Amino acid sequence: MLGFLSARQAGVDDPLRLRRAESTRRVLSLKLNPDRDVDRIHGNGINTIDIDAIEGRYMLSGGADGVIVIYDLENHSGKQQYTCRPVRTVGRSSRHVHKFSVETVQWYPYDTGMFVSSSFDKTMKVWDTETLKPAEAFEFEGNVYSHHLSPIARKHSLIAVGTKNPKIQLCDLKSGSRIHVLQGHRAEVLAVRWSPRYENILATASADSKVNIWDVRRASGSLFTLDQHNGEKSKASSQAENTAHNGRVNGLCFTSDGLYLLTTGTDDRMRLWNSATGANTLVNYGKVCNESRKRLQFSVSHGCSPEFVFVPCGSSVAVYALHTGELITMLRGHYNNVDCCEFHPDYQELYSGGKDGNLLAWVPVVRTADVEEEPNGENKVAASLSAVNPAFQDNWSSDED
Amino acid sequence: MNRKRALVSDAFKAKKRRNDTERFGAGDDGGEPADMKSTLENLMTLFPRKLFNDALPPIVLKHQLYSVHNDKTLVDKEVNKLQESGELLMFQLGFDSEAFGLVFASDYKTKVLAGEEGKATQATVEKFLEKVVSSCTDLSFSKDKMLREFLFTDSEITQLVKSGVLTVRDAGSWWLSIPNSGKFTKYFIQGRKAVLGMVKKSKYNEVLRVDLEERRTTSHVKFPMKYHVHDIVGAELVESIPTTSGTLLRSADS
Repeated sequence: MLGFLSARQAGVDDPLRLRRAESTRRVLSLKLNPDRDVDRIHGNGINTIDIDAIEGRYMLSGGADGVIVIYDLENHSGKQQYTCRPVRTVGRSSRHVHKFSVETVQWYPYDTGMFVSSSFDKTMKVWDTETLKPAEAFEFEGNVYSHHLSPIARKHSLIAVGTKNPKIQLCDLKSGSRIHVLQGHRAEVLAVRWSPRYENILATASADSKVNIWDVRRASGSLFTLDQHNGEKSKASSQAENTAHNGRVNGLCFTSDGLYLLTTGTDDRMRLWNSATGANTLVNYGKVCNESRKRLQFSVSHGCSPEFVFVPCGSSVAVYALHTGELITMLRGHYNNVDCCEFHPDYQELYSGGKDGNLLAWVPVVRTADVEEEPNGENKVAASLSAVNPAFQDNWSSDED
Repeated sequence: MNRKRALVSDAFKAKKRRNDTERFGAGDDGGEPADMKSTLENLMTLFPRKLFNDALPPIVLKHQLYSVHNDKTLVDKEVNKLQESGELLMFQLGFDSEAFGLVFASDYKTKVLAGEEGKATQATVEKFLEKVVSSCTDLSFSKDKMLREFLFTDSEITQLVKSGVLTVRDAGSWWLSIPNSGKFTKYFIQGRKAVLGMVKKSKYNEVLRVDLEERRTTSHVKFPMKYHVHDIVGAELVESIPTTSGTLLRSADS
């Protein structure tokens, strides 16, 4: 790391290189830290979490009992030990709470004044964060497995919704209409995801083993469907032609630049696809245990080199290198199945939630400060008492002057 | 390729050489390029020829290579390269959609032709081997393809199925297959089940790899233990955990 620092100082290296090297080092050293905790509010399992994209400060979590909690992730106390406290909660006592488990929550991409949640009670609600009342509620005919708002859309404000019905509905936030329907799947749609690169490209995954890529401006069907054999029809049995997986596809995640798409399926495989051509890059991650009947929320790191994928695998989170498929480590800490995980790009932290009702924060290992010899024993005691993060101290002259 | 600047990811690749139990074949210790052909040859020595009266060419499964080399994507790439060059043939064995059998093309041809000596189907099989197997790297063939591209007649296709070189896949298409490989599949699945049972029955459901390789095999296990151990480790039916006394195999089901 000193090499990177001196190269940056001398101007030999681009400033971005040091940043990437430090981000990668931090991700490689993710561990559970006793100083970092998330308050336990959910009584049952946690199905979904979302960190807001603007500040990275607030985290939404949706539980199996219908409860939605908003946590404040920032540590302003100045102390090392910090528990993320809930700021607001939509508890069981609220009049508008979902009746059954909340499957997906997502912040409105542009500010934290609004968030959208969808649940197995066949509704999707758009909430006002201030009053915690739903501004709009969309009703559907089947369980809603997943919904997604495009993080970069400027020209439209559509929410793509995947339900038990094979048709994907696009609900418009501005007008409340839901006429736009995408047809093409033959079984329930388990995951939907907008591309972070183009605001009109949508990827959908379904229990019929297919993943379709759509352009919502197009009137006729999907743009293309992902084929795991890249068109070599000879490799598969004839039923498996044109399928992305040999089982239900239940997880979708774009990389942060939108160039690649990751899919996971119940055939215990994870595949990396080129999102522009739909070609399978044939990176072999090995067996990625997947028994989920619903959507699996996994995430990709941002700003590291090489990028990492964090996938819930049974009761631990597996970390793979994105392009080589190598298993870096397994993060063990949950007591039961892990359902969701989300990467915080600014602090390189990982939050994961599971059936045991715990939200764990995986924090990069802090560099230990060098122990310097103190000639005066008293100074040492005083210094350890205050133990303030040097980032909060300033070098300005004190008030006494 | 010489890089002027090192990649950021290289800075985190400090790998220490471990002096633990030797692994046979070409183990990749970070510096050497993975030699797939020599690994394949090593694994093929484990295949018991006598069991099938020398009628079958040595078959290695693709996932057995994953247990020798760490990088699965690299193994896939190298195997594809060998397949495109025509040295290696890949077969869909039928019991698992992901289990591919690998046979050296030369071995395959000699065994098939030896098996066809004196039979009525010999000429068709020879024609098939020359035309199709040498040029095309597909695993399966549809009726259209056989009739148009390779100009085989229906009766010739029937002869090929009879001789065992083609196996029915569904109406109008066939898998490329190894004649008389039914026995292989049967013994293989039996042996795999027995070895997995051995791991499950052990105390705490785990066995040291060297221990397992040295155990006496029951009558159900016809292949050498090492062959089966490579198979279950590569197919990830057991978890492979590195310990101070060597690799530990723990059964993957909870």
